[in-house]
Amino acid sequence: MAAVTLSKTATASVIDLEDVSIGYGKDAPPVLVDVNLSVERGSFVAIVGPSGVGKSTLLRVVAGLHTARSGGVTIHQDQRPGHRPVGLVFQDSRLLPWRRVIRNVEFGLEGLPVSRDERRQRAEAALKLVRLDGYARRWPYELSGGQRQRIGIARAMAVDPDILLMDEPFGALDAITRHNLQDELRRIHQETGKTVLFVTHDLEEAVHMADRIIVLGGTPARVVRDVRNSAGRDGAVFRDQVEQLRSEIADNYSI
Amino acid sequence: MKTYTKIALSALGVIVFLLAWEAVARSGIVPARLLPSPSAVPAAFLTEFSSGTWQTMVLASLSHYLVGLSLGTFLGVSFGTAAALWGRWDAFQAWVVRMLRPIPAIAWIPFAIIWFGVSEAAASFLIALTVFWINYYASYAAVRGVDKDLIELGYAFGQGGLIPRLFKIILPGALPGILSGLRAGLGQGWMTVVAAELFGISGLGMRMMEASGLLATHIVVLYMVTIALLYGVSDFLFMQVQSRVLSWQR
Repeated sequence: MAAVTLSKTATASVIDLEDVSIGYGKDAPPVLVDVNLSVERGSFVAIVGPSGVGKSTLLRVVAGLHTARSGGVTIHQDQRPGHRPVGLVFQDSRLLPWRRVIRNVEFGLEGLPVSRDERRQRAEAALKLVRLDGYARRWPYELSGGQRQRIGIARAMAVDPDILLMDEPFGALDAITRHNLQDELRRIHQETGKTVLFVTHDLEEAVHMADRIIVLGGTPARVVRDVRNSAGRDGAVFRDQVEQLRSEIADNYSI
Repeated sequence: MKTYTKIALSALGVIVFLLAWEAVARSGIVPARLLPSPSAVPAAFLTEFSSGTWQTMVLASLSHYLVGLSLGTFLGVSFGTAAALWGRWDAFQAWVVRMLRPIPAIAWIPFAIIWFGVSEAAASFLIALTVFWINYYASYAAVRGVDKDLIELGYAFGQGGLIPRLFKIILPGALPGILSGLRAGLGQGWMTVVAAELFGISGLGMRMMEASGLLATHIVVLYMVTIALLYGVSDFLFMQVQSRVLSWQR
């Protein structure tokens, strides 16, 4: 059993996965094997693959919510005080319905050695970052799906994480809202320089957002491709990249 | 249906009920001793009130009620929550609970008298017992029903320890269910007040017993109405508090 190791040594990578193997239950066959992955500080990495391949499971391991069967998971934590190694954004926004927006954003800060004033300031700054600073006193039920996702991002950003983990964060949104939020996330990534590890099954989304794309495939799943991507949303290059990924995934698809 | 139509219909219902009752009582079909007319109740109230009996009885019952209700609610919510949180404790107490649960509060009256005598404590004990079970089961179900995803959220954001998990996620998440238990206990508690006082502990129940012994049925009805009003007021106040506490709900 390998839990997440927090290291304080300064490195170019934020997380290092070494020969990680993941499974549920004692005797069940593994879901993921031989995962070796280093995520560079400041990069935007997308993990793609067919549904059920273990993308979210991998993210849960990095977040410390699930323990790998074997191998090493290291997060290189910065020296800054008052922050968390990871900030997690869920597909369902997962706001606490009994807390107003601002208190939801403060949630992750409550366990940190941070004064009440600083907590409020950081939460307000995070709300501003997602452009919802006028919504501090609202209840979650008063927000639209896209707004809730923004609050989820603000909550994760408020803890000033070494790495922002996102589990299909826009998967449940309508196309227009999804597009808006993709642009917003790119802007946030550029403004803050945060390292992002982003799980999605949407190849267009991955090619549009990420500068590196990891393809998972096979049974048990492993990393089948690791692509540098700079296609952006630029017509022909974009289509080529998406098509290439699509065929990679099809080649490694097994039921 | 509009609000004022609703209120008008509710008021009409009460008036028709009282008129029908008055009509039956006056018609002489039923002897006056067996069925007092509602118009006799205000006079009964004035007599009881001017002698101070009514106030004494209401205060006595209210104190039994409040003590029993707070004790039963606190213990019921605590034990129900504990059983829902810890599987080992749940398994340990499951059969004890099954054996004790079906025994109604009135069956405990002999023990209440042996243990506490004919005293205020005996009445409060019986009320607490009734209220305990309602809150035990309501809290158990409510805590079990808390969204597991929210608990996972707690772990993801460093709030997975017992204290933050309990106070920031489980209890707020279970609050709507716990409050409906409280509300049910509020009503059952008043019913038990009467039963608990019938054997001679000063209060509304005892006064009803005395009056019925003298066939003063209009006084019995007066105290029935009193209990109904006390319940109505406590339920109304509780609903006011609840709607504030749960203002985060749609």
